[in-house]
Amino acid sequence: MSELRKTARVVGALGMRSIRQTFRRPQLIAPILVFPTLLLAIQTGGAGGAVNLPGFPPVQGFLQFMLAGAMMQSLMLAGNSGGIALAVDIEMGFTDRLFAAPIPRYAIVLGRLAGTAALGLFAAIWFLAIGLIFGAELHSGVVAVPIAIVLVTATAMAVGGIGAAIALRTGSASVVQGLFPLVLVVLFLSSAFFPNGLMIQPARAIAEYNPLSFVVEGIRDPIVSSVDAGTELEALLAVLGIAALGLVLSARALRHRLRVG
Amino acid sequence: MRSATTAIAVEGLERAFDEVLAVRGVDIAVGEGEIFGFLGPNGAGKTTTVRMLTTLLLPTGGRATVAGHDVVAEARQVRASIGVALQEAALDPLMTGRELIRLQATLQGLPGAEGRRRADDLLERVDLADAADRRVGTYSGGMQRRLDLAAALVHEPRVLFLDEPTTGLDPVSRKTIWEEVRALNDDGTTVFLTTQYLEEADQLADNVGIIDRGTIVAEGTPEALKAEIGNPHVQLQLAEGSVAAAEQACAPIGKLLPPRDARTVLVDVENGSADIPRIVRALDEAGIEVGALELVRPTLDDVFVAKTGHHLEKEEDGSGAGAEPEPIEA
Amino acid sequence: MEGAATLPAWRANLATIAALMARARNELLRVPGAAIPGVLAPTIFFLGINGVFGALTQLHGFDTGTYESFVVPVSMLQGAGFTGAAAGVNLARDMEQGWVDRLLVSPAPRWVLLAGTVLAASARALIPATFVLAIALALGAGWPGIDGLLIAYLMVAAMAAVAACWGSALALRFKSQSAAPLMQAGMMALIFTTTAYAPLALLQPWLRSVAEVNPVTRVVDAARQGFLGAVTWSETWPGVVALTGLLIVLGAWSLREMRRTAV
Repeated sequence: MSELRKTARVVGALGMRSIRQTFRRPQLIAPILVFPTLLLAIQTGGAGGAVNLPGFPPVQGFLQFMLAGAMMQSLMLAGNSGGIALAVDIEMGFTDRLFAAPIPRYAIVLGRLAGTAALGLFAAIWFLAIGLIFGAELHSGVVAVPIAIVLVTATAMAVGGIGAAIALRTGSASVVQGLFPLVLVVLFLSSAFFPNGLMIQPARAIAEYNPLSFVVEGIRDPIVSSVDAGTELEALLAVLGIAALGLVLSARALRHRLRVG
Repeated sequence: MRSATTAIAVEGLERAFDEVLAVRGVDIAVGEGEIFGFLGPNGAGKTTTVRMLTTLLLPTGGRATVAGHDVVAEARQVRASIGVALQEAALDPLMTGRELIRLQATLQGLPGAEGRRRADDLLERVDLADAADRRVGTYSGGMQRRLDLAAALVHEPRVLFLDEPTTGLDPVSRKTIWEEVRALNDDGTTVFLTTQYLEEADQLADNVGIIDRGTIVAEGTPEALKAEIGNPHVQLQLAEGSVAAAEQACAPIGKLLPPRDARTVLVDVENGSADIPRIVRALDEAGIEVGALELVRPTLDDVFVAKTGHHLEKEEDGSGAGAEPEPIEA
Repeated sequence: MEGAATLPAWRANLATIAALMARARNELLRVPGAAIPGVLAPTIFFLGINGVFGALTQLHGFDTGTYESFVVPVSMLQGAGFTGAAAGVNLARDMEQGWVDRLLVSPAPRWVLLAGTVLAASARALIPATFVLAIALALGAGWPGIDGLLIAYLMVAAMAAVAACWGSALALRFKSQSAAPLMQAGMMALIFTTTAYAPLALLQPWLRSVAEVNPVTRVVDAARQGFLGAVTWSETWPGVVALTGLLIVLGAWSLREMRRTAV
């Protein structure tokens, strides 16, 4: 078997393990699905009148607008969850078993990211289904589905890389868990839940430059209006930027982990 | 020490978990002032039985009284009369040792000044006075067990439940706990002790109950139980691969017992040391080399084997608490 | 041998409750940073919701121009819900580690053991509430007046007790920290399916129906009144009644679960 195929098998096996771990433990699946769904319902019901504000983009309804934000929240939490799980593996000594195996080191991180990507994919499908069930329309039609899936999955992996880096660097699950509020902060300071132009300063200023805002707009655009190539390109570049950051950080953290043991 | 009054009376006690009957109709009688050793392997039902007697678990059948109170109908009175040191030393790592005992005193309803005085006394008694104001999280395993024991004694209970008090402890710590248990018993406390260590039951208990797979398989004083078994046995340490041949050679001389491991042969000998020369000759004629040969008097493990068909303790158990075999008599 | 002489029952019970509250306080004083998550979550939500949805006050039907004033009582209550649910998580952890057995084997009545957990949560909830309030006032929220402030704090303490009963009941039923998301989500749902984001008339129809029957809506309105205007008895008593009812129901459930946990 070629090296590439062997590595792919290892990455697949580790990815399956991380997916199984998540779905077998309610405290891992809840932040990824339950809370974002709850928040979606609450915010749609509570702040839904916002669509009547002057300057609010033309949408079919607030639910249609919010779907992208819910997906973002879910994928960010999936990335954080993946980081926590990797840190637990380090604390338990499971990563030592992997380091001692004849597999490339990067496969360990890739396996974790494969799991996170799968969760991102699941989240995208989940929220698209919820949206459709509760009456939201996909303005661009069915093309909105693969765009959302690709962006959400790729962003989940990119964010997961940052989570993995923190886990490898600190080796502590409680530190990674402590970053959970930070995820919320970053989301609130983006256009995930409200149009940039209607946010209050200084949140508005930060949201304008937040790379997550570009990703959210890329997911949202096909849902609320027609596909715009410029918006999708910006989204893709933002994802690549986050992924590059995650890659650099996790590569350095992996080297650090191998040195300190 | 035994008395006519029963401190713990158990009749047909049962506990089922879904389809599994973990405790099946256990009968026990423990006199006041007695040390009762409750012996059995992991998973036999010891901890489940103790949890029912300490009102932590509702029985699904039978009844039990502790210190004269029914464990179901008069649970609160039972709790006021007992001290408990459970298998998982239920300690808070953020508290100091002194704070923990004072909290226990409060839980037992002792006045503040009295609780403080007792805490100081008990900490001194279990040799934790110097560590009393350090956090429990910094204590060693032995220190934690001693603290747990001290907390169980703060209200001078009539009956003390100790669930595997020395599991995982080094021999020195174990001996310290034993001395403390004896001292308590001398003061009149009834002690219900669960253990998987033969030597512990042998050394401490006035009476022993052996439980296996949820049922009592033997009950009595250690001496009476061992006398029931009767015969000593010969223990042969052999080279690898010669066990089958050795068993064949010894079979005509005495009854073969279940082996402890892959290099030992055990032979029940009716005539004691007089059978040893016959065994040596038979092994020699069969060309079998013997590493060691010892005559072993009956132990509680032998009682267990006789009643259940398997050993209570494995030879490889690192704790070293099994009974030591005697050297060959001349 | 005779056992030790004990205090009269009522004194012993009070002493036990005080001792259990003191133990709960240990985590705040002895674990560095233990107070931070409980304070951080409602603060982030307050700042986030305010920054994101602040423009809602432009809608017709909002009787205040400052969204901070509208949302701060919700964040204070959210902090209470979080703190109470966390008390449930701690109880689950204590069960997993065997600590609760020590309490259950003592002669202390079951309600006393619960009261220690619940009252500790009530007291602790005042910390995030004060922090969020300070930030809100700095950002321009209206001063609620002493009466408005006292009522808000009362609602916070009682809401934390409600949340602690909820969390404890789940901890005793599942005996595992894996029930933590249910503890948190339950409180989040209860507090936010109210007039949390907007007045009743501006809620979407489905949420309006839920908010109308949700007792916590009365609690939110009672806590909020001082920040928006005058404090009146007619705005206050429904919140008191709602909290009393929730305490009775959830308190009874958690006590029942505790009695089922041991004999």
